[in-house]
Amino acid sequence: MPVWVDPEKCNGCHGASQPPCLRMCPGDLIVKDHTANKAYLKYPEDCWDCLPCVKVCPEEAIEFHLSYQFGSKGAKLIPHIHKTHDQITWELIDTQGNSETFTIRTKLMPVELDEKVEGGTQTLDFSI
Amino acid sequence: MERKIIETDILIIGGGTAGCMAAVEAKERYPQLNVTILEKAHIDRSGCLAGGMNAINAYLNKGETPESFVRYVRSDSCGLIREDLVKTMSELFEYCVKKVEKWGLPILCDDQGNYLPRGRWNIKINGESLKPILAKAARSAGAQVYNWVAVTNLLTEGDRIVGAVAFSLRNGTFYVVKAKATIIATGGAAGLYRPNNPGDASHKTWYCPYNTGAGYAMGIRAGAEMTSFEMRYVALRTKDTIAPTGTIALGVKAPQVNAKGEQFMKTRYAHLGGDGAPTPYRTYGPLMEIKEGRGPVYLDTRGLTPEQSRELKSAYLDMYPSMVLYWAANNIDPSKEPIEVQTTEPYIVGGHCQAGYWVDGDRRTTLKGLYAAGDVSGGAPYKFVSGCWAEGVIAARAAGADIASMPPVTVSDEQIAAEEDRAFKALRSQGKVRYPVLPTDMEARLQKLLEQYAGGASTYYEMNEEMLQIARQRLAKFPADFDQLVANDLHQLMKVHEIMDRVDVAQTLVEHLLHRRETRWPSYQTRIDYPERDDVNWLKFVNSRLDPKTGKIEVLTRPYEQIIPGDRYKP
Repeated sequence: MPVWVDPEKCNGCHGASQPPCLRMCPGDLIVKDHTANKAYLKYPEDCWDCLPCVKVCPEEAIEFHLSYQFGSKGAKLIPHIHKTHDQITWELIDTQGNSETFTIRTKLMPVELDEKVEGGTQTLDFSI
Repeated sequence: MERKIIETDILIIGGGTAGCMAAVEAKERYPQLNVTILEKAHIDRSGCLAGGMNAINAYLNKGETPESFVRYVRSDSCGLIREDLVKTMSELFEYCVKKVEKWGLPILCDDQGNYLPRGRWNIKINGESLKPILAKAARSAGAQVYNWVAVTNLLTEGDRIVGAVAFSLRNGTFYVVKAKATIIATGGAAGLYRPNNPGDASHKTWYCPYNTGAGYAMGIRAGAEMTSFEMRYVALRTKDTIAPTGTIALGVKAPQVNAKGEQFMKTRYAHLGGDGAPTPYRTYGPLMEIKEGRGPVYLDTRGLTPEQSRELKSAYLDMYPSMVLYWAANNIDPSKEPIEVQTTEPYIVGGHCQAGYWVDGDRRTTLKGLYAAGDVSGGAPYKFVSGCWAEGVIAARAAGADIASMPPVTVSDEQIAAEEDRAFKALRSQGKVRYPVLPTDMEARLQKLLEQYAGGASTYYEMNEEMLQIARQRLAKFPADFDQLVANDLHQLMKVHEIMDRVDVAQTLVEHLLHRRETRWPSYQTRIDYPERDDVNWLKFVNSRLDPKTGKIEVLTRPYEQIIPGDRYKP
């Protein structure tokens, strides 16, 4: 599972219909369970490991995991977005717990918690 | 289904690298025109740039000129390119890069404020947010953006393209967009061949796995002339993560070494430029080391200083963060051990190679009213990001000028009804097909077929006439199964269209591979039955056109024209 939404940390961006993680996935792979008010990666096998969903989560609720076939679990890479939106600090922790940080310049565009969808998001009756 | 009719002046299909820049240029130059973007994902992070970029790899550093760039690209592409196209795009690199810098892209500079080069044609950027920067510019310029709208086909009226049809991934609305000009900017095609990694990493590809050849396919179905599909792109990438290697090879000047520690590019390929040999040979070289028993192959990063090592990691974080996590998870220190590399599944892409629409100097395709920009446009390799921007600019300028005094277009109701039926067929078939085929089923069959008979990684990308004939015959059977494809929801409906598009692209690809009876780009296009380059007979473009009435693909050739004098095999 390449990215994983921690259900303990995810607050569904409150009542958002289209929370940022869901919107920023270029593969349209993240959905929100509106009953549980949590987002999750519905199609892990289609994930590109590109990480916009991780960077954009206001709760830092999305963890980036390598597929197990690539290496042992336990190492972590966590992007922290600066409030000024002009820097991103990556926290890298290896399997022994050694950590290293990288602060890199960027130009992040502020993202709203929700966005209206043209035509709405009603459920379809596929039997027609 | 709900139907939404949109009338616009310029329709841009695909809000990616080329599409965003085309939208800005169109609105700035022709503010009175309506510009509409249809985007399959969300424009803020869609397509190739979703993860970011750490360099602009097509830029004229100090002392370079459009002519020197054409000479380099020509030699890097083994002597055959559309020199007119490569020249015109390079003339706009500066214009585009300066624009994006103004929008906020951090570009690394020296003390005097000059851009920091990473290689001869490269400058370093902090491009983690490059895509949202472009998206904001497109929106601010006044383009109307429709997110989560997947285009299924072009609309035609007589011999003119007059827009496109699409469906919403959120609510199933059927979009009919009538446009005086249509710019196609959907990118290239991944997922034709078996991917490098299985299971939950099957989309851990180098090329964006959501670029599924839609733009090629809808053009093929409408009868557009395509060029150079046989010049596939097989990339040399880091093992497992399939991360770009330019960051290592150019960024910290690491040479390729084989298992014995031999710098084989320097010894075996010295006559072609060693580690600077044309890009196909930088894939072919390591591939032969592995085939002949001298693998694995590495980029030798041993001896990097701690500063260089950190710089390398920082560069990957801006573009390909999984590389850094991979090193941490496997306790790899790139300064102490070399980085293993491997070759990728073949991609069809007009930005690194030159597969795509056959266009004129203004990026008009052979179909009236249709323009192509970026990876979907052919004949001009080495576009990368900035060349895609340049083509967006060129296409937008031409489209705006061409439609200056044009009346609104019309589309027949019959065509709209037929397209609506085609768009939603798989959804309506759900539960009604006795032996349903899932899009993933057809994908597996397609990937296996191309892998084994059309030069996949397992045959070292080699192919011959007999193998390709098998691929052609078996591919011909796929479309009959399109009626069996089913979708349970709108996401799966998108996957159904993606696989049908890839089948159309594959059929054209195999015709191109069959036609070129020489080996011009070893590894990208290795014909073991015609192993030599043959300038006498094949210094020309292989093009194709599907006749929409008969469904038959006609293959033809177009002459190469040398515009910039000099030895075509010298940079």
